[in-house]
Formats: sequence, structure tokens, C-alpha cells
Amino acid sequence: MPDNFESFIRQHREEFEEKGPSPRVWDALEQELTVGRKGKVVSLLQKNWFKAAVIVVLMANAAALFYFTRHREHQQQELAVIAPDIQEAGVYYTTRINEKLQQINAYPDAALGLDSTARKELALRNDTYKALERELKNNPGNERIRAAMVRYYQLKLDLLDKILEELQQKHVAPGNTKKHYEAEI
Amino acid sequence: MKASATNLNQTPLAEYIVERCKKGDVRAFRELYDAYSAAMYNICLRMTNNVSDAEDTLQEAFIQVHRSIHKLEKESSISAWIKRIVVNHCLNTLRKKKVYFEDVEDVEIKAEEGIDEAQFTWTVAAVKSAIHTLPQGYRTVLNLYLFEEYSHREIAEMLGITESTVKTQYMRAKEKVRQIVKQQNVTR
Repeated sequence: MPDNFESFIRQHREEFEEKGPSPRVWDALEQELTVGRKGKVVSLLQKNWFKAAVIVVLMANAAALFYFTRHREHQQQELAVIAPDIQEAGVYYTTRINEKLQQINAYPDAALGLDSTARKELALRNDTYKALERELKNNPGNERIRAAMVRYYQLKLDLLDKILEELQQKHVAPGNTKKHYEAEI
Repeated sequence: MKASATNLNQTPLAEYIVERCKKGDVRAFRELYDAYSAAMYNICLRMTNNVSDAEDTLQEAFIQVHRSIHKLEKESSISAWIKRIVVNHCLNTLRKKKVYFEDVEDVEIKAEEGIDEAQFTWTVAAVKSAIHTLPQGYRTVLNLYLFEEYSHREIAEMLGITESTVKTQYMRAKEKVRQIVKQQNVTR
């Protein structure tokens, strides 16, 4: 049973209420929410940058395949064009891509955070490459296939550069680890 | 502000606002904040006992509301849900200030002799002032029971103490308030 004190509080409950918080609370809150949202996106990107990179590769591959298949009919009509000098470009890009891949592969799996499928996708001779190579052999003079192949090389090289850049920012380069510690000592 | 919070609870408008909040609509969140901030700020003020801590706690609590609103189920009471988040944040603020809640011996609290409530006047200002001066533990229990209307059992769970300790603390808090208000009447 409520005593006088409790009864008094209940009867005058509304009178115990103060006015609301100062506007600075909402201002700070709004800022926090906006920053939080941006921060979330940035941190997601930072956390999943590698996955994002692989998605870019997959999209590039898909785009190359789409480009290629869309113009397939057209390509067949253009078979008799000039002999390609794609080999030369191929040697140049392949060498550079393999160098980058070697550097990336020197990092431990944990630093890369990639599963085997994603790693396979990073390799030079992935499914897209093989499809393009096959078509190039069958249609050696086709400009569109040549362009798609060169574009494929360029995209892959750009992506590997970006991955290496990120890895170097986040981790000590694998070969430099010892030197780094020695310098510190 | 308190009235708007009550009106908004479990209405189609509230559901609409919550749904928009769930989709990340900041304007809808502002509406939710406008409806509940005053009532929730009062909880923070009573619990932390100072404006600066109350505002900081309110801000942190609403950040939590924003983060967790997707978990709010349709049938749930929005005000009860927000209130619980706010109260938890208030308790965290107190814990950061090294306020701990511990069990006490279950002793019978006797009213101080000579306190005849009929002989003095209760005023809102006097009660507020008396509660303000209570030790933190007493004040927390008294606020949660009397103003936030949680049961002794709920308070015990929140503070991690026994129900009997809550009852004892509450009785002591009430007695202390009576003494302070009586003193104020005498010195008036």
C-alpha cells in the first residue's frame, strides 16, 4: 500500500519532469550517425578490400566475356583480317603479371585473406584468359578479340598493382621483414 | 514531450516511423528522437544526477537505438524498448564512475521516531532536492522503482543484486528522503 511519500510522487509525477535535452545532443548524435555511416562503409571497404578487388576482377572477366560473346557473330565475319601482333603484347604483359603474382604469393595466406577460388581467379590463366586465348587461336586476326585480350591483361595488371600497394601499406613486405626488425634493434 | 512519447507508442505512426528508421532514414530517426528524447533525458538526469552525464548518456543510448532498431519487433512497445536501452546506458555510466551495487543484510528498516508526515509539507522541489542528495545506490533503486516503475525483481536483475537487497535499499532511500524533507521543514 503506497505511503504518503509514494502517493505524493504519483500524484505529482508530471511535475518532476524537466524540459528536454539541449540541442547539442541531437547535433552530436546526427554527426555521429553520419560519421558512423561513412565510417561503416570505409571500414567495410578496408576489411573486405581484397574481396572487393576480386569482385572487380570477376566483373572485368564477365565484361570481357560479354563483350566477346556479344560480338561473336560479327567476329566470325571478320576472320580474314590482318595477322595479330598480340603475341608480343602477350609476352610483355605476361612477364609483368607473373612478377606481380610472385610478389603477392610471397605474402602468407592470412595476410591475403583469400580462399582457393579467389586465388585461382587472380592467376593469369584463369577461365576468362583461357576462353579468350582459345578464341584468339581460332580467330587470329579479329581486332575485337585482340582488344579484349589486351584489356584483360591491363585490368589484371592494374588490379595486381592495387593489391600489392594495399599489402605494402598494411603489412611489411615479406622479404623486408628481417631487415625491418634489424633496423629497429 | 512526455505526452508525445506516450501518444506515439504502438500507433500506426510509430510503426511507420520505426519502419523508416530501419531503412536508415535519418529524418525518421529525428522524429523518433523528438518523440522520446525529453522523457529519456529525464531518466538519464535522475539516474546520473548531472546534466553533462545525462546528455552524454542520452546520446550514447540513442546511438544504440539507431544501431539496434532493426531488432525491434513489431509487437514490442517502442517506449519500453528505448527506455530499457537508456536505463542500461545510465547504469553503464554509473559503473564507469565506480558505482557498484552490492547485496546488503536483510534488516528491518524502522521509520525514524518523531517523523509525523502530517506535520510537514511535501513539495516537488523539496522531494527533488532530497533525492538529489541521496547516496547513489539508494537513488538508483528509488528512481528505478518509483519513477521508472520497474518491479523489485526487474531492478534486482538489472543491478545484479537480490530482490531483498532492492527492497531494503528502497526502504532506506524512502526513509532518508523523509528525514531530509522533514529537516527542510524544520529549518524553513
